Amino acid sequence: METKEFHYRAYRPRPFTKEERSKTTILFGGLTWKHERLIQGSLERMGYKSMPLPNIERQDLDIGKEFIDVGACCPTTFTAGNLARTLMTLREREGEEGVKNNYLFVTIGACGPCRFGQYHESYERVLEGLNLTDFRLFLLDLLQMEQSAPGGGLEISMPLTFGLVYSMFYGDLITDMEYAIRPYEVVEGSTDNMVRESVELLYERLKNRPIKGKKIDSLIWHVFTGYFVDALKEVRRLWDEIEVDRLRVKPKVKITGEFWLQTHEGDGNYNIKRWLEKEGAEVIPPPVAVWMDYLINMELFKLEDAKGFVKKYYLKKLAIGTIAGLYKMVYNRLRKALNNIPNPLPDQRKLKELARPYFHYRLTGGEGHMLIGKALYAYLNRQAHMICELSPYGCLPNTMSVGAMAKVLGDYPDLLYAPIEIKGDAEVHAYSRCQMILTEAKRRAKEEFEEVLERTGLTVEDIRNFEEDHPELRRATYKVPHYGYAGTASNYAMHIAKLMGRI
Amino acid sequence: MGFFQSLGVGRIVFSSDTSEEQYREYGKGRITMDSCFPVKALAGHMGELLHKDINLLFVPMIYSLPSFLKGHVVDTLSCTRVMMSVENIKAGFLRERKEFEERGIAFVSPFVPFAEPELLPKYLWESLKEHIPGLTLEETARAVKEGFRALEDFERKMREKSLEIIRWCVKNNRPAILVLARPYHMDPGIGHDIDGEFQQYGFPVLWYNYLPLDDWLLEWLFSKEIRAGIIRSYFDISDVWTSSYSSNTNEIIWGAKFSARLPWITGVIRLSSYECGMDQPTFTPVQKIVESSGTLFFKFGELDETKPAGSVKIRVETIVYYLEKYSQDIIKKKLSRLGAVPSQLLV
Ligand code: SF4
Ligand code: SF4
Repeated sequence: METKEFHYRAYRPRPFTKEERSKTTILFGGLTWKHERLIQGSLERMGYKSMPLPNIERQDLDIGKEFIDVGACCPTTFTAGNLARTLMTLREREGEEGVKNNYLFVTIGACGPCRFGQYHESYERVLEGLNLTDFRLFLLDLLQMEQSAPGGGLEISMPLTFGLVYSMFYGDLITDMEYAIRPYEVVEGSTDNMVRESVELLYERLKNRPIKGKKIDSLIWHVFTGYFVDALKEVRRLWDEIEVDRLRVKPKVKITGEFWLQTHEGDGNYNIKRWLEKEGAEVIPPPVAVWMDYLINMELFKLEDAKGFVKKYYLKKLAIGTIAGLYKMVYNRLRKALNNIPNPLPDQRKLKELARPYFHYRLTGGEGHMLIGKALYAYLNRQAHMICELSPYGCLPNTMSVGAMAKVLGDYPDLLYAPIEIKGDAEVHAYSRCQMILTEAKRRAKEEFEEVLERTGLTVEDIRNFEEDHPELRRATYKVPHYGYAGTASNYAMHIAKLMGRI
Repeated sequence: MGFFQSLGVGRIVFSSDTSEEQYREYGKGRITMDSCFPVKALAGHMGELLHKDINLLFVPMIYSLPSFLKGHVVDTLSCTRVMMSVENIKAGFLRERKEFEERGIAFVSPFVPFAEPELLPKYLWESLKEHIPGLTLEETARAVKEGFRALEDFERKMREKSLEIIRWCVKNNRPAILVLARPYHMDPGIGHDIDGEFQQYGFPVLWYNYLPLDDWLLEWLFSKEIRAGIIRSYFDISDVWTSSYSSNTNEIIWGAKFSARLPWITGVIRLSSYECGMDQPTFTPVQKIVESSGTLFFKFGELDETKPAGSVKIRVETIVYYLEKYSQDIIKKKLSRLGAVPSQLLV
């Protein structure tokens, strides 16, 4: 056909058939190794072979730059480079035919003009650059449950989607535990070991989970089953053994920022969470689940705005409201299995209200209004001493919402806010910016703790003595309530005072 | 204009064309994060208007745009920076003092989703009702309709003009140039008048967003591909671009397809601002779409506030040389792939 000869056509992956399923490995990436290992369990249960891409490394940035057009944001460059590196390694090992036939890459996308939606354009440049245009790359929209890749080899079904949602929840909850415990562990390395052990246990549970039904019955089972909660109870019993010392006075640093960058753990964001811990901070990591919750609630808010124009408004509201409610309910059930040590998901309506004077909630992309909402929420509710905001170099939306924070800081000059631009190759600069604000956060954490001691009349020694008689207090899974202080040590001291009957 | 006139607003004042001076004098220091020049330029415009005799400053957050591709693409969203920059720059004006209030100017920045016809009047009304006493939702909805009518009128005229240009090219067997850019590159302060430079050499210039959309013309250009099942309609871009969310990007892609097919467009000029994240993923596909048919492609990238007058002149001269040299061949080659020239073009 003449037209085909001289006009450019976009990349279209070859079909992936059902028969190929057992021989083909699905490559995927973009989250922490914990989330990815758990996703692997979910995929394997559905009969797919899978392999996460290797951890992002500094070299991926340079590799990415080589393949994609100039001016890409830092996450795209990293992830494109990571894919390129993986494909090159596989090609070396298994030859060109091996890569093309034995592997395919799946990326989740399709939610907007910049975020994810166009990642795959860059990935296509990678395939062209490597002369691997026959390699299959699929862009899937997770929110469209019935979507499948051409050929039917890859089907997004209800059981698979729920498996992935639980993988995400598990990954988030274990990460939350990890960051809440590690700074206080008595035996160095015990948290990391436990994280590995827990992830393996949960991977097994996901891999062997029963498949009950296909549509609505599957939904009901996944929402109400005790299967996933029980798995976490097992995990909790393991964590019971870890001993912590919560009297270490540390500033609490909440991480916010662009989705990929804030959830990432590796060279892609200068390993900033680990670095902060090394510098003496306790980090509050951002769960992936918040992002999904945001998307669900945005639908609800949009619907509310359109009240009066939408047919069957109340029915639709009820439907979305129920989804939002069930989502939170499931997350909270899982948290409870870990004695509520992981943080609850923030109330999306509150975030929206807090951000309202500064950022319109319908401006989506990056973190949208959540960037401001979360910072204010953490500050006003004394959740953290400081906010570390990770801004990708070259990001479209993030730079705008970070800019809007200027007015917030004008109104709340006390809010410790460190916007860190992540370029991928300028960590010294990023660390030193962060360090400046961290020093102030440390001072505040210390002052706060001293204030608690003064208020309660306790000394560190008193607390130590009390701990001797109550060894359960030093368990990692012991829940310390929030007494209105940001710091763990401060709340802990308050709690002891309460137990001693001093307040 | 149509919208405000319908509301009975007596005087409408616009800011002047973008310029380095405007940005330096009124905009600098208002943006707290590094960004592309068009966003920075907005600060200059807002600052300039604050110094005019006005009582209401209207800066919409344009979320989605009306686009002739709507219905053929996933969405018609604006660049996230375009929609969000208003909140960013507002913060720059407000962080130290209440600058709008001090000058007695009400600042109104409604959320404007052109692609949501019911919500558009509602959002506009909610943000304007405080400042235009007695304003009703019905009145606003009517004004929105008037606004759309004015916009359609303007677009129709522009498309007719483009067709006129193409007919002139056919009649005189002369090539034309198509510009692929963002709409604000028409502003001489952002696009640096690069399109004008080509006109001085006698090349008519077409803009991608005002190309003629007449059925007979599109039938001539695209029907073979529709029959072959490659695309479903004239406006389908899924054969070359698989994630069609952004209105401007979609139109740029469609413009590139159009240019690759229309014989008399022998050269395409791509303009792009410094650090434009929206353009970035499109660079290679757009170039490939254009060049795959033999059409010449030239890119002026990284445009910012500094006007590169000298180097632009030299580049334009070189490009003109190539256009003069190859245009006739390109026209012939492209014509040979299409059926007989439609009679409507030969008038
Ligand atoms: S949100 Fe920013 S960093 Fe993330 S994909 Fe979009 S432009 Fe890139
Ligand atoms: S389209 Fe590009 S130049 Fe325009 S505002 Fe967006 S990022 Fe900036």
